[in-house]
Amino acid sequence: MPEHAEDEAKYYDDPEWADIEPIQQADQGPNPLAAIAYTDEYAEAMAYLRAVMARDEKSERVLRLTKDVIEMNPAHYTVWLYRAQVLFATHADLHKELEWLNETASQYQKNYQIWHHRQLIVSRLCPDPASSAAARGPPFPGAGIDVDSLVAKETSFVASMFDKDAKNYHVWSYRQWLVRHFGLWDKGELEFTEASIEKDVRNNSAWNHRWYVVNGKEGSEGVKEEKVREREIAFTKRQIRLAPQNQSPWNYLRGVLRKANLRFSTVQDFCVEFADLSKPEGDDVFSSHALDLLADIYAVDEGRNEQAKRCLLLLKDKYDPIRANYWQYRLEMLDREMGSGIDSHLPEHETRNLTSAVSV
Amino acid sequence: MAISKAEDAMLEPQLDKIRHVKYWTRCIKTLLPHQYTSNDSNRMYLAFFIVSALDLLDALDAASNEEERQGYINWVYRCQHPDGGFRMWPGTDLGARSNPENAQWDPANIPATYFALSILLILKDDFKRVNYEATLAWLPKMQRPDGSFGETLVNGRVEGGQDPRFGYCATGIRFMLRGSSTGDLSVNGRTIPDVDLDAFVRCVRVAEAYEGGIADAPFHEPHAGYTFCSLGALAFIGRLSTKGSIDETPPTAPCDPGAVVSWLVHRQTELTDPDAGVDSEFTAPQDMDDVRELENGKTSGAQHDGTVPAHQDPVGTTAISIFDLLVDGAGMNGRINKVADTCYGFWSGASLHIMQQPKLYDQEAIRRYLIGKTQHPVLGGHGKFPGDLPDLLHSYLGLAALSLAGCGEIKAVDARMCLSKDACARLPAIWQSFTAGR
Repeated sequence: MPEHAEDEAKYYDDPEWADIEPIQQADQGPNPLAAIAYTDEYAEAMAYLRAVMARDEKSERVLRLTKDVIEMNPAHYTVWLYRAQVLFATHADLHKELEWLNETASQYQKNYQIWHHRQLIVSRLCPDPASSAAARGPPFPGAGIDVDSLVAKETSFVASMFDKDAKNYHVWSYRQWLVRHFGLWDKGELEFTEASIEKDVRNNSAWNHRWYVVNGKEGSEGVKEEKVREREIAFTKRQIRLAPQNQSPWNYLRGVLRKANLRFSTVQDFCVEFADLSKPEGDDVFSSHALDLLADIYAVDEGRNEQAKRCLLLLKDKYDPIRANYWQYRLEMLDREMGSGIDSHLPEHETRNLTSAVSV
Repeated sequence: MAISKAEDAMLEPQLDKIRHVKYWTRCIKTLLPHQYTSNDSNRMYLAFFIVSALDLLDALDAASNEEERQGYINWVYRCQHPDGGFRMWPGTDLGARSNPENAQWDPANIPATYFALSILLILKDDFKRVNYEATLAWLPKMQRPDGSFGETLVNGRVEGGQDPRFGYCATGIRFMLRGSSTGDLSVNGRTIPDVDLDAFVRCVRVAEAYEGGIADAPFHEPHAGYTFCSLGALAFIGRLSTKGSIDETPPTAPCDPGAVVSWLVHRQTELTDPDAGVDSEFTAPQDMDDVRELENGKTSGAQHDGTVPAHQDPVGTTAISIFDLLVDGAGMNGRINKVADTCYGFWSGASLHIMQQPKLYDQEAIRRYLIGKTQHPVLGGHGKFPGDLPDLLHSYLGLAALSLAGCGEIKAVDARMCLSKDACARLPAIWQSFTAGR
């Protein structure tokens, strides 16, 4: 909240603003919806904001006013755009703007506008990182910018945001933009994903970022290239062994195989490490995701439908019963493909018989 | 972790309908406390929650009289923009000082327009005061070359993210005004072009992730909210593929409906407590750093700055229900390995309904979660996580999700539009009146 004397309006009593006639909010009638009990401070700041917008004023005092409004209502969908225009028109120090954004980031960390604004500022500071003359357009504070320093500051800021919330969607999106804008593909991003995954192997956002770093560069083959593919498969298998019931690397593995045009059956032995149905004493399952992948392998790649059915039944009845309806649906689809009648509920002793008959 | 069916029948938790009606009646009758200021620019969205919730609870007529309802309608129309579309709230209106030079600071807003029209529909307005022509003419201007839609048009530039929330709202506006018709429209001798449906389908396709869900942009992480918006938008424009391979004439999406369905059913999780420290092999552990704020910028307002809205007085303790002692349900999350959250019961659940697979998720488990864990036992409404105080967004989506999951005490919900089927059923008459008017 802005600080000022209790009985003094912030703008109305300020001689600096004497030339401005505030615009009160348009009459809402007797039955407004979702009406809010505004504080006097907010009502006043908004009335002055409307007044300067009406003049399309671009001055330093507007920077103070927009900051005031933003701190009370950061989701206002034109105030950030207005502020950006005023920053550029007054040749404001954009490095200072970034510092302010850093300070207020924790408050607004899940607000789209603040990230878009940051992107605008960084783009303005460095519109074309690839060129040697980083500053284009009229000179302004920060002209002749040190690109490496800016990148270091931004990646450091992003890392600190991840310390607060390692899965913040906006921050990961912003990091992707940094990678593309500054061409950071080979500048430690892969290592960053590895570190994030090491910190929390279940951080799906980190896995997704890895996919981007490996496959997202325009013109790159990504995992279609054999060396890359082998590296990614090895990495993923290692992570699965750490936590076999973690869905992220299993999806990543499927993604790699699909993109590289490899059959799922190439990882059949690996899956069996976590879902061995061959033992006579019963099933040895450590991962429902392994069972799921085996079901696909047997059904699609090998035409071994009875084994596929067995996997789906185990998922439905024992290892993933919350999704029983879905596994039942998969069984029905399988049966339809097989053209056989539907008998998707095997009694326990018949399951055991099936086990001994199966050669894995 | 399934419970036996016999226990289920005895202990099916009950919706505390009276308490929910009380909660929403307070919202429509009194001012929202000043802590909602950070949501001032979302007022049309909040208004939609309030009006639609009362409609779903069949309590609109009890909570308001005819004069008041007309007043609400008038307030919505006051937010209509002179050049088509609606504002989120009167706050950007420059009144008598509006002119072409400052017009950029008072733009029409895509989500505001969608929710404004939805409110009018629920309140049984005939749409005669809607600037049909101008609104439809504005829509194509809100679409970018890559097919995505934006939020506002400022100085000739489409602003706002490129995410499917705006695609959903834009196609929803189009659906409410012209139904399933396509191509140029001739209105009072003026030709109004349609939006580029093929380009929109393309922009959804490129955001389909390797995991199976849909993100807001290529290579971004898939997210149930964005998946819902994409699927809902495709349904609005008749370009949704629910089975098998996609079409090319005309193009449909998603490219792999099976992968999307699989990703969606995997959103259901028994992981409900964000503070739990359990790390067992068969439950996906929670994100220990998960901050209690809404994603995508849609804040509840209630806990945004840590304080409590005045009309939602904190109670000393939250009642522990008997269901805490049993395995009590499974909600939905929005991304892999995240904890369940009330609102994803709708985003993820409704997505499955849109994909014509309403039975693939465990409806009973989600009813248990929503009623047994996140329904507030004293104030009514729903919180984000178990034990949280209620806020408008989670309270509304909790009701909508419950309706879809078979709770008979709430009106049937149209999964695409996220409002009652009753309200949705009024659209054909509105399309008729527009066609006749031309």
